[in-house]
Amino acid sequence: MGGLSPIFPNPVSPNGQGIYNTYLLISIPAIVIFLGVEIALLWVVLRYRRSTQPVGYVPPQVHGNTTLEVVWTVIPLIIVLAIAAVSFVELQRDFQPIGNQQMTVVVSGYQFGWRYNYDNGVVVNQAGTLAGDVVPFVVPTHTLIKLQFRGTDVIHSWWVPAVSGKTDAVPGYDNFSWLKIDQVGKWRGECAELCGAGHSTMQIIVQSMDQPDFNNWVDQQKAAAAKASPTPSP
Amino acid sequence: MATTVLPRPKAYDDTFFKPISIWLTTTDHKLIGIMYMVTGVLSFVVGGLFALVIRLQLSQPNLKIVDAETYNQIVSAHGVTMIFFFVTIFLTGIANYMVPIMVGARDMAFPRVNLLGFWLIPVSIILYYSGFFTGGALDAGWTGYAPLTEKLYQGKSLGVDFWALSIIVWAISGIMASTNFLTTVVALRAPGMRFSRLPLFVWAQISTSILLLVVGAPLAAAMILLEFDRQLGTQFFTTAGRPVLYQHLFWFFGHPEVYIMILPGFGMISEIIPVFARKPLFGYMSMVAALFGIVFLSMTVWAHHMFTVGMNTYVEGFFMLMTMLIAVPTGIKFFNWIATAWWGSVEFTVPMKFAFGFLATFLIGGLTGIYLASVPVDTQLHQSYYVVAHLHYVLFGGSVFTIMAGIYYWFPKITGRLLDRTLGEWNFWTLFIGFNGTFLIMHTLGLEGMPRRIATYANPAWAATNLIITLSSFLIAFSVLLLLINIVRSWRSGEIAGNDPWQGNTLEWATTSPPPPYNFERVPPVRSFMPLRDLRESGELVEAEPGLYPA
Repeated sequence: MGGLSPIFPNPVSPNGQGIYNTYLLISIPAIVIFLGVEIALLWVVLRYRRSTQPVGYVPPQVHGNTTLEVVWTVIPLIIVLAIAAVSFVELQRDFQPIGNQQMTVVVSGYQFGWRYNYDNGVVVNQAGTLAGDVVPFVVPTHTLIKLQFRGTDVIHSWWVPAVSGKTDAVPGYDNFSWLKIDQVGKWRGECAELCGAGHSTMQIIVQSMDQPDFNNWVDQQKAAAAKASPTPSP
Repeated sequence: MATTVLPRPKAYDDTFFKPISIWLTTTDHKLIGIMYMVTGVLSFVVGGLFALVIRLQLSQPNLKIVDAETYNQIVSAHGVTMIFFFVTIFLTGIANYMVPIMVGARDMAFPRVNLLGFWLIPVSIILYYSGFFTGGALDAGWTGYAPLTEKLYQGKSLGVDFWALSIIVWAISGIMASTNFLTTVVALRAPGMRFSRLPLFVWAQISTSILLLVVGAPLAAAMILLEFDRQLGTQFFTTAGRPVLYQHLFWFFGHPEVYIMILPGFGMISEIIPVFARKPLFGYMSMVAALFGIVFLSMTVWAHHMFTVGMNTYVEGFFMLMTMLIAVPTGIKFFNWIATAWWGSVEFTVPMKFAFGFLATFLIGGLTGIYLASVPVDTQLHQSYYVVAHLHYVLFGGSVFTIMAGIYYWFPKITGRLLDRTLGEWNFWTLFIGFNGTFLIMHTLGLEGMPRRIATYANPAWAATNLIITLSSFLIAFSVLLLLINIVRSWRSGEIAGNDPWQGNTLEWATTSPPPPYNFERVPPVRSFMPLRDLRESGELVEAEPGLYPA
């Protein structure tokens, strides 16, 4: 349901799927603790309010209980250690800089838009606008693509929830992420780091195409680029 | 058996109708505390008005109630006002009023430093808002990330400079107040008030002061370096320098600041629940230990605000682990609070309602904090409306609900009059419903990809949710209006409270309401962390007969 989803959009890239699964795993203890504590609070409200206690009731003057206090120190400790371990495994699996990519795209954030430099020479300029769809960042399906992020002015953050988490484009050094999409489609995202007055216009569209369509698209882009800026005569 | 004769309850309140010259020059911690609190409440109103503009702008897609540049200034002003000028200032005020009385002291250790520390706050506030008259105030969020705040990206406006100066002054004031609190508690405790008998609110203020003392200076340093960049042409945080260094310095302050804004609230809840449940606090020692556990851990977690900047995954793992460990001491506090009320004879007065409202909502903020601490999940949730929802569950469901509990609990002590109960009930329920209506569904917007701090959005799927949020936010505004009406009305003509309307545990209830400038004629004996209750139960407490002492 639009606007009221309790979880991320269906992930289309394996790293997005990893995050999705981690989110679900954390939700199990989180929901149990949430219900347990809220029910305990409700029980106090209903059962121990003064109007439901017998007249003249004097509560037991308990100052503490070491066993209980140790229990509710150790059990949460075990739970958070487990959550941290699960998260760390996912962190090691999907968040390391990769070296086995089939393609590299340099993504540069600028005020206000994204520029994608493919390693085959194609350049896509995704100028920011809210008036309509931005130019899509086109990727081939079934291809492991390394994304190399650069900030050219201030800090931006590239985020397409259906693909994966966000990565900051910081001026001064390169930042990395990757994607591998196995289905044809279009997914939306936008810049997630306040970068100036045009921040909300920095929309992102990722479009995946099967390899033949992608090759056609590359040829079109190269032809258009050649027409737009003819090589100067010697 | 020796008896402790309580002072005769005052029939009326005379604290506030003093000449302005007394207010301007007073070194009385109580009057300074009141000025802090009034400044805080005024900032709350101003920050709330900014929030309403934000909510109007986002109520539907593609709205342009204010332009994007103004919107960014308003978002920043909302954050700065609420964090620096409302929550922290109000809490400093209530501690300024209560800590010396609770430890049986006559005033703060350095009354004139206290005076100076307070008057730096209006200076800080005026400096910040001056930015609006220089072509634009800070427009980079309350965090003011470089290099967006650098001169190259700010045009001619001086808003960032005024903000940086304002924060430097604020940090100096905070360091003064922290030093003063710590010295007061160490040096001026009444006979018998050992460290093991300090009320939990005092312990909370000790831990808060330690935090602010440690992290205030790095904040000022970040601001000074930023000013060097902007005005002297250095290259600390520019694109040629290290923009991420700014984030490290800022968050080394910024994350402990979250605890500076919640630990005093924890202290208040630890005072309020035992009084209205008629039971002693469960696990006094573990409550104190948990406070210091949080103090220590909170200084080792700052980079969890930076999981998307690209760090070594082992470093990220360390910050993730330390962040999650904070759940342990916080959990101890939660379970101890519930155990305190368990088997009790719980009276749900308005302060107790706010205390339970705090427990019910802060829990959600704590649990979403676990999701955010997990690095992989955080890369999705970071900088989205999920974070906006989380931080408001912590700062509004947490800090503001505890502040409301504190206001209803201590207003009778401070003014001599009770806040109206019916209005208070309305205040609680409208705030509870309005708050959850506003912030619960914000989580889902973030999960679906709505980033924070966007001036508008085109996605029609987010329209209905945003409209519900905006309508609920006006219910919050209505609730705050009820609070203000209640404060003004009760201050003038509320029911006379007497010395001890709640049958309290701590020393502030052993003096008149409001207390005399010297607090106590004779400090009652202190034999536990509930000195007043001990006296009441041993029959040593004798109410002064009317007419025995001059009013």
